[in-house]
Amino acid sequence: MSDSDRRRLRDALRTRLERRALSLAALATAAVLAIMLYLPVGVVFLEAVLEAGRPTLAYFRAVLTDPFYFGALANVLAEPLAVRTHLEGVAGWLGAVSVSLTLVRPIPGLELPVPWLALETPGVRLGLFGFTAYQAALSTVASVALGLPAAYVLATYEFRGRRTLRSLTILPFVLPGIMVAVGFYAMFGRGGTLNGLLGLIGLGPYPFIEWNPLAIVIVAHAFYNAPLVARVTVAAWESVDRRAVETARSLGAGPRRAFRDVVVPQLLPAVLTGALLTFIFTFMTFPIVLALGGLQLATVEVWIYDRVRQLAYGEAATLAVLETLLSLGLTYAYLRYESAQSGLARSAGSTARRPLFPDLRTALSPRRLAIVGYGLVVLVVFVGPMASLIVGSVTDGSGLTGRHYAFLLERQLEGASYQTLPWVAIRNSLLFGVATLAVAVPMGVVISVVTARAGRAGAVVDALAMLPLAVSGVVFGIGLLRGLVFGVPLPGSWRFQVTGAVAIVAAHAVAAYPFVTRNVSPLLANLDPAMVESARALGASRYRALRDVELPLVASGIVAGAAFAFAISIGEFSSTVILAGSRDTYTMPVAVERYLGRRPGPAIAMGTVLLFVTAASFVVVDRVGGRFER
Amino acid sequence: MDRRTFIGTVGAGTVAGVAGCLTRDGGNGNGGSGDDGTLRIATYDSMVNGESPAGPWLKEAFEAEHDAEIEWKVPDQGLTQYVRSARENAEIDADAYVGVNVDDLVRIDDELGDGGLLRELEVDRLDNADRIRDELEMGDPHGRVLPYDTGYICLVYDETLVDEPETLADLTEPAYEDALLAQNAQNSDPGRAFLLWTIDAYGGGGYLDYWGDLEDNGVRVLDGWTESYSGAYMEGERAMVVSYSTDQVYANEYDYEMSRHQVAFPNGQGYANPEGMGILEGATDVDVAYDFFDFVLSSEPQAEIAQRNVQFPAVGDDHVDLDAEFDEYAHEPPEPVSFGYEALRGSLGGWVDDWAKEIVGQ
Repeated sequence: MSDSDRRRLRDALRTRLERRALSLAALATAAVLAIMLYLPVGVVFLEAVLEAGRPTLAYFRAVLTDPFYFGALANVLAEPLAVRTHLEGVAGWLGAVSVSLTLVRPIPGLELPVPWLALETPGVRLGLFGFTAYQAALSTVASVALGLPAAYVLATYEFRGRRTLRSLTILPFVLPGIMVAVGFYAMFGRGGTLNGLLGLIGLGPYPFIEWNPLAIVIVAHAFYNAPLVARVTVAAWESVDRRAVETARSLGAGPRRAFRDVVVPQLLPAVLTGALLTFIFTFMTFPIVLALGGLQLATVEVWIYDRVRQLAYGEAATLAVLETLLSLGLTYAYLRYESAQSGLARSAGSTARRPLFPDLRTALSPRRLAIVGYGLVVLVVFVGPMASLIVGSVTDGSGLTGRHYAFLLERQLEGASYQTLPWVAIRNSLLFGVATLAVAVPMGVVISVVTARAGRAGAVVDALAMLPLAVSGVVFGIGLLRGLVFGVPLPGSWRFQVTGAVAIVAAHAVAAYPFVTRNVSPLLANLDPAMVESARALGASRYRALRDVELPLVASGIVAGAAFAFAISIGEFSSTVILAGSRDTYTMPVAVERYLGRRPGPAIAMGTVLLFVTAASFVVVDRVGGRFER
Repeated sequence: MDRRTFIGTVGAGTVAGVAGCLTRDGGNGNGGSGDDGTLRIATYDSMVNGESPAGPWLKEAFEAEHDAEIEWKVPDQGLTQYVRSARENAEIDADAYVGVNVDDLVRIDDELGDGGLLRELEVDRLDNADRIRDELEMGDPHGRVLPYDTGYICLVYDETLVDEPETLADLTEPAYEDALLAQNAQNSDPGRAFLLWTIDAYGGGGYLDYWGDLEDNGVRVLDGWTESYSGAYMEGERAMVVSYSTDQVYANEYDYEMSRHQVAFPNGQGYANPEGMGILEGATDVDVAYDFFDFVLSSEPQAEIAQRNVQFPAVGDDHVDLDAEFDEYAHEPPEPVSFGYEALRGSLGGWVDDWAKEIVGQ
């Protein structure tokens, strides 16, 4: 075979591969999803409809009609046809409502009476589902309220450290729940940092957590989710086309009007994405409620976890199915909305930013002062708990100490293989993070492309592909355990098992790709189809068109999604623990949990290491990614 | 699924993974190390991962005396991992388990049938077995475990804020309003121990009323010991926490304010939680396991376990020599309470369920 023959063969092979690349990637994605998502989840959900191998609806009937789960709604669900009785019930309830004017003191400890309308109701029994939805709604409101100003500041102002700050918005996402709880106690506790600061000006100490544990849980949820809202919104804000705003202005629209009619419609899908994700996450919340609120604020997820421990798989699976249906329904509704938004074509990064504090005069304007005020809130809610953790890692009951870090160093140098070594945890975390990026980004993009072309059916496909967001961690964990770790028995005494590093990366990728998809899909949907069509008409394969035309235009979404994928891999706990078993594939969060014993010092030191390693890698991911963005 | 396509696209890294996914069940489901003198002992994390854990010391000391090796295993799901493995007929990678309490035995039997997972011990093969204190008897009808240490659950309080509670009933009085931190009995050892203690005091018919009163008085139930102690109690949220009677040993070691680490035994009681060791059914190195158990019950290891894990020894006082400091700061309740196997079997799950539904606020 001559050289030219060989080259021709190679070119032919390459062309063929390129032509097939997209379908091959789609197939691979489907395979990973089938093994790491649909199989484990399917194994759990089968429990809900099977009793001793026979199909049954008994579990559903029992759960839906139990006031413990559905409160007042349970009676309605038990007898849906007794409309008259239910209406009478509602009327009786309304009759018992009374409104009166009273004086309240909104700030405990301060005698400042404020007239207030007191609403007295006979109370509604919410049930576990009702309470869970209630706290999720409050958490969502809090997260959006705290996240939007951050998005506004990051998107419209230029200041030193803006890009670093933008990278760091993802940091809370990776912190293990128990660490956040300890951080919150260290910040808001009676002997915490905030009371220490208030003490300097002669106030306090106030038992902030004791006053209202639910409020603290909601603030903690905002700690996790407001940065998420901020991040997706900033990504959308930065891709708003300046020219469209300028066109609107030149046509006579005032700045306010231009903002309302041009910018807001382009931000809304992103804000709603953030809000929806927050609602779903906080609906399925687990460690934070238990650590800060305790059993008294239990959510559905807490109860599923308990049912699983009691081996009441049928009941657990039923609750899980109901929970999943609810969040899938929400996701579907949102996706229908998103696909109905046909926006303007976007190009990335053309936003011009104003300096935040150009001179003293501007710095004292009401808007700048409001930003400073918001900055103080951010210091208390976000920086406080993390800073208190860092301080906790270098102090003990009697003052400054380096013993917690000395412990980590000693464990690393002298520890036995069965002990948890800090460096192994750091190395694994970074390796799994990079591997997750490599798997999740192509998966997410492929799913975006496939659903973008699927037309009306796209929303359904998309909702199904969003299953990882809708399935709770507990359910996924149990599914992995029952479906993959112990293995599925096959004929001939063979067993299909997936464990170890490969399984961990696959599980992380499955958890992470929806974020890539959610960041890429809206941008992809807004691309002008004519561009792709002309590329195809000029002879480019579907894959070439994707690589050379579409991907560069949605790069900002891919980078945002990639950062999330990395964050999820670094912070993931439950499936890592399950899949790692007793092998040395543990990660930083797992190491933190393992060190938590009688003395939390070493665990907090390990958590601080996690904080720094992760912060550094995000800045790198974001900067490197940013270079491709331009 | 077309396997070739899958491998071709996903790449070499996954090939190894997927190829390793198909395993063949080998006869007894035991892929163990065989009779090569290596004893694989599974345990809980703090046995090997604390600041000065007993595990590494035990390994070194035992290996110096015997012609055998010890390999510690820390299954992330604890004993539950092996219960599930046994149920699914999957491989179990250990010969012995150190850290089984009575609740575990009840749960094993609920799931695997009576006398499951661990084999019955031939106690007369252990010279030191008769040193074990009688009150640590767990009452297992299948004789599967021997205690190696014990802890007591009690109340730890701040004497500058509240007085020592004399009785459990005191905790429902106004003097202790919003004072008590407890743990979720569904998944926390001290939490469950405290619940069982109240059941011992008020009976299966009355404990829910008592807990109703505790709730009216503002008890707070956090998830686990770490959340309630390291978080809430250490940050000064509350005046009292359900904890261990060895608390002052730590307070002394870390120079904490001793006034905040007072130990109370209401009703003159504390709930005893003995920890046991047993041999797994599929074990290959049974003889070495017996040697190890006998070694653990001898004098020096008993003192080391007690001081390193800050628990009480399982053997009588004349068989163990503890530091004077340990004796000074580790307190034992005048009257230890505990439920044995028989009392828990068939009742534990229901008690905990009813309690949890009482606590979950709607």
